Order: sequence, then structure tokens, then C-alpha cells
Amino acid sequence: QNILTVCFSVGYSVVALNHVIDFKEKKQEIIKPVSPSELFPSLPIVQGTSKRIKVLTRLTLIVSDPSHCNLLRSTSANIRLYDIIAVFPKTEKLFHIACTTLDVDLVCINVTEKLPFYFRRPPVNMAIDRGIYFELLYTPAIKDSTMRRYTISNAISLMQICKGKNIVISSAAERPLELRGPYDVANLGLLFGLSEGEAKAAVSTNCRATMLHGETRKSACGVVYTVKKPRKVEEEETVPACKKAKTQA
Amino acid sequence: MVRFKNRYVLCEVVSEDPRCRQCIEDRALGLAVRDAITRVHGDYGLACCSISFTVKYLNAYTGTVLLRCRKDSYRLLCSALPFVRYLESRAQRYPCFLNTLHVGGTIRTCQKFLIQYNRTQLLRLLQNCTNEEERQCIQKSLLSCSLTEEQSQSGDEEEDDGTE
Repeated sequence: QNILTVCFSVGYSVVALNHVIDFKEKKQEIIKPVSPSELFPSLPIVQGTSKRIKVLTRLTLIVSDPSHCNLLRSTSANIRLYDIIAVFPKTEKLFHIACTTLDVDLVCINVTEKLPFYFRRPPVNMAIDRGIYFELLYTPAIKDSTMRRYTISNAISLMQICKGKNIVISSAAERPLELRGPYDVANLGLLFGLSEGEAKAAVSTNCRATMLHGETRKSACGVVYTVKKPRKVEEEETVPACKKAKTQA
Repeated sequence: MVRFKNRYVLCEVVSEDPRCRQCIEDRALGLAVRDAITRVHGDYGLACCSISFTVKYLNAYTGTVLLRCRKDSYRLLCSALPFVRYLESRAQRYPCFLNTLHVGGTIRTCQKFLIQYNRTQLLRLLQNCTNEEERQCIQKSLLSCSLTEEQSQSGDEEEDDGTE
């Protein structure tokens, strides 16, 4: 809860709480997501605008075996309750499957160890066409020097294949001090090889697109997002940033 | 006209420990930033950034910091700022992080931004106010903040709220 308070004070308008599921243990059940209203009796207001902050829920599946993917296809009721679904593939085949056929919103890219596989262009291009985003974490880079090297090398190899499109940078912060402000995260994107416009998009517009993709998945058809346009002045609705943070167990 | 162009980076020190803010010193902060640059960009980065690197303004009550660097190397500086993890002063380590607010070419633009930012912060505090006296105090300071033409470095004319 502390993390969320710091998030809001720094200037994020939408936060997603992550729940990680690892398939190494035998019995894993998808539990219901923590409802955000349990954490905050009333959500505070975004700095600068007069809208309330949104807290979304997100599920990350660490898959190392193709049979784990069946969980996604099963119509378990609890999966539908999550707003965003992300998958963390460990092998090349799974990466290919995740980009092409799996019904997810985000594909996480490992930053804590050397990638066991190289990225190839066809699955990456298919993922971009389908609207799936690749996610990079930045908190390991802040904590540890060897992680920093792996993060940068993995990120740059991803950039070379996908040309900087469809990237989302997020934190896996476990403590409030591991969080960084949106402008700082966009600057980190520069280190990862993104251009300045792409880095800012990685924090703002790409995240919003992921949110909408999640809503699309829930409603099983397209989403038309309407914005009220007053007659004289054209207003653009922008969501400054979207972040993901680990829930406090 | 040949002159050296600088970039002024406005940051805010965010920390959980309330004692951290009172002990911020400009030298300690400068050292912490230089250390972060060395860790991220190495010797080359440190040398590039420290050509004209100083801490120009420091406000211990609100945790506002203004750093100056050359225009050619401000990207190196900005990309290394997220890696500052703690401030060290008087043999005590305070975990904290720097939140970049604004990058400007002159001190005056940074000042203008800071006044607007502080105004929004005061508004936010106004909402969380429980005490009637505090409300009056904050409202008065909101109405009175402005950019005056003083030569002194203190610049922004807001009241400091000690209840941060």
C-alpha cells in the first residue's frame, strides 16, 4: 500500500498490481485478484487533473512448458477477473507460441539473466501486428550491477529486432523506494536504445494501448474509446503513465 | 554569439524517512549524483558531465534540487539520475530517490515551473488538510505566491509547509 501512495504522489495515473504464478510447483490455482477497493477506501485524485486514479489487476504466468499454456485456454472464471494478462516465456518455442497464438496482452522479457534464445523477426512482427507489447523491467537494474548489464544487453537486442515499437517499461518494485517517476523512466528508455519519442511512448501511450487490449480481450470484440470533444477547443485525453507494481504479499 | 549553453535539471528528493530531508546538503547530493554517473556511464560519463556540474539550488524543506550541467551532456546526467539510491551525509545513509520534474535552459524557466508545481502541491495538501487553521494558512500562501524581481537566489515565494 505504501508503494501505491508513493506512485500517486509521483504522478502516475493508472497502476496495475501484479500477481505472479510460477508453474514449478505442482498445484497452482489461480486465486481471485485482490480487489483494489480493499486497499484504499477512496482512491486519491491524480495530480494535475481531476480524475481519480485507476488501479488495475494483472496476472503474470511464468511458463516453461507448453502444457502450462493450457491454463490460459481453460475458462477458469478467475482468469477473467484480471484486467491484464502477461506471460513470461522461458524457451524459444514458448516465445513463438506466445507471440503468435496465445491470448495475452504482454510478453515479459527476462532481464535478470542472459537470454537463452535469440529473438527472431517473424514472431516479433506477428506480435506487433496482433497488438501484443513487450515488457521490460527496470527495478533489477537499479538494485544490482550485474542485473543492469543483462537488462541493457537484452533490451538492446530486443530493440534491434523490433525497432523500438510496442515496448512497455515497467517496474517490479517491492518497496516504495524502488519506484521512479515517469520522466525518469522515459530517460531510462534512452539507455535501453529507444529514441526519445519512443521512450516517452513506452511509458504513456503504449501502456494505455495495453489497457485497452485487455479490455478488448474481456469483451471479446473491439473497443471504441470515445472522447468528449467540446466545440471550440480540442481536448486530448492523455494518460500520463501506467505502471505495474508487485503486490505486497 | 559564442557562449556556453547549460541545462538546468529540476529534481525532487523523495524519501520515506522524514529526517532525510533535513539533512540534505549540496555536497552530499553532488557526490551521490556523481557516483551514480560513474556507475552507469563510467569514467567518460563522469568526465563529460562534470565540466560544469554544480548543485545550484537546494531547498531542504521541500526537497527541491536544481542541478546544472552542459547542454551536450545533459542526457548522460538525466539517464543516470534514476540510479541514485541513497544520500550519504555525516556517516549516515538515507535511502531515497530523485524524481525529475523539469529540464530547462535557464534558471528562470525552472523557477517558473517550480512555482506552478508548488502551487499544485499546495492544492493537493489542501485537500488532505484536517485542521481548519492549516487550511487557512495554506489558502493564504496560495494566494500570495508569485515571482518577484528579487536578485536573491531564493526565488520562489511560497511558504514552506513544515508538515510535509
